[in-house]
Amino acid sequence: MILIGENINIMSKTIGAALRERLPDPVRELAKAESNAGMDYLDLNIGPARKDGDELMKWLVETVQEVTDMPLSLDTTNALATESGLKICEKRALINSVSLQPERLEKVLPMAKKYDAEIIGLLWGTDGMPRDANERCMLAVDIVYKANEIGIPNEDIWIDPIVTPVSVDINQVKACIEFMSMLGDIAPGCKSVVGLSNVSNGTPANLRPYLNRTYLAMLMKYSIYAAIVDAFDAELIRLARGEMPEILELVHKMMDGYNPDISTLSPKEKEYAKSVKVLKGNTLYSHSWLEI
Amino acid sequence: MFFKTPEIQYNGSIREITLGSVENSITVGGESAFPFHTFDAPMPHLPVIAMEVYDVKPEDWAEAAIEPFKDVINDPAKWAKKCIDEYKAEMICLQLSGTDPNGLDRSADEAAETVKKVADAVNVPLIIWGTANHEKDTAVLNRVCQVCKGKNLIVGPLEEGDYKNIAPTAIECGHSIIASSPIDINLAKQLNILLGNLGVPDDKILIDPTVSSIGYGIEYAYSVIERIRIAALTQNDKKLQFPIICNIAAETWKTKEAKTPTAENPALGDAKKRAILLEAMSAMTLATAGADILIMRHPEAIKLVREMIADLASNQL
Repeated sequence: MILIGENINIMSKTIGAALRERLPDPVRELAKAESNAGMDYLDLNIGPARKDGDELMKWLVETVQEVTDMPLSLDTTNALATESGLKICEKRALINSVSLQPERLEKVLPMAKKYDAEIIGLLWGTDGMPRDANERCMLAVDIVYKANEIGIPNEDIWIDPIVTPVSVDINQVKACIEFMSMLGDIAPGCKSVVGLSNVSNGTPANLRPYLNRTYLAMLMKYSIYAAIVDAFDAELIRLARGEMPEILELVHKMMDGYNPDISTLSPKEKEYAKSVKVLKGNTLYSHSWLEI
Repeated sequence: MFFKTPEIQYNGSIREITLGSVENSITVGGESAFPFHTFDAPMPHLPVIAMEVYDVKPEDWAEAAIEPFKDVINDPAKWAKKCIDEYKAEMICLQLSGTDPNGLDRSADEAAETVKKVADAVNVPLIIWGTANHEKDTAVLNRVCQVCKGKNLIVGPLEEGDYKNIAPTAIECGHSIIASSPIDINLAKQLNILLGNLGVPDDKILIDPTVSSIGYGIEYAYSVIERIRIAALTQNDKKLQFPIICNIAAETWKTKEAKTPTAENPALGDAKKRAILLEAMSAMTLATAGADILIMRHPEAIKLVREMIADLASNQL
């Protein structure tokens, strides 16, 4: 699986200020640390970046390329900023992301073609968030068609079905998994990617990794290709690298209906089993889900 | 072509909770099917109405709300008696609005004295509702709990920010508590878990999901109550299997739709009728979502709601 480090993000409390003030050292340190942690890509999230976004992205790409040769995922809704990054990326870049809004399609798809970049096809339509797995399918077909039309092949499209927080709407959490089970049939050859940590948005910070890991294990049942993740969650990385096969087996069996007696499980298995129950919607989420 | 009636797989039920003192108790909850789905299972206890009484004379009420109580409005104990004797209130909810730090800021001792008077005057379960100011409620409700030890009050709202400081005294003194969360099912469940961790027994908890009037977001409250019941009844979620209490009267009567006099905006129709209907329809909406206790104000709104509840449950009566 491809792991994309999420930690360089303008919204981050630790690194956001360094990005805004163009302090290269903390950014270089973080890029190196993500690289050492075993990431395959670096996500560079500068947000909407309405003001001087092109200058910021250029500076950021240059800064991280000084210390790492990892490929980059350029994460912004500012198309100018995307282009300023694309111009100087040394490795083949990933555009994060192209949604179904006409202005995004018109501006960003040709850019992908011009700079030979891959794209994340975000299943966000003109009506906003898709309501279920079927609407995700419709949007996926739509974006693949539009990308193919200008010559971007399926294997350069990474479909992002949009992960939403478990504490907001469990049906969306389930729909994202359901969609993943259908993607191979509706868009053969396309890749897939999720912004994993969003599933635990709103959960106390120290507990977020438990949900992130379990949700990744669930997505792995349907061969998720890539995930944008916290680069410093070592267990998550081991899980993604296939080093925890027993846990994966437990999670996947539970997705197929197996209902283990929680009291007989090891402490580690308990974490995953309780989290599967919450993420499958069998148990309503509360901050104390691991304790009850 | 055969029509197959949809069947809901229930696997849990709402806890039956007895409120009030031994001689004047009332039992709520106990549902094992969705509200008024009496074709699935009878409702062992229909929703009950707690009539509001205020510790100090309300200053900004609509004329229609004052009118039924104007002879007793300065005396909470008499006010409560009137609700019981004349309007057959099944419970009383004493609102301690006089303790509001942004208002009269009456002391904990004063509040406790008022509560004691009302508690001694009534023969129905008594709810004590604070101002949701954590610091003030901690002082006031602790004092109330102590002064009325053994009176089996129902005290609230206990929120995430003050439950730790109020629940221990309430339970030690034999009262029940109202667990209040801000229109969020996950936080409602979490607060109930935390209360359990603190040692609050399961038969002492009511859920207040936080509600609002028709026109002011009642659909959110409806949805949260509905989801609480779905989790409790079809997923056997033990931490949500508590009766639900809705403090709806003040929410409806503070709206401009309830307060605007007829003369000020004739297009809105008769002020009294309008306000009463707003309260009745808001309360009824919550009853159909799953409320077990409705805190209400106007006798005519209450009459309407009682009729509607009786109607909906008529096949089991």
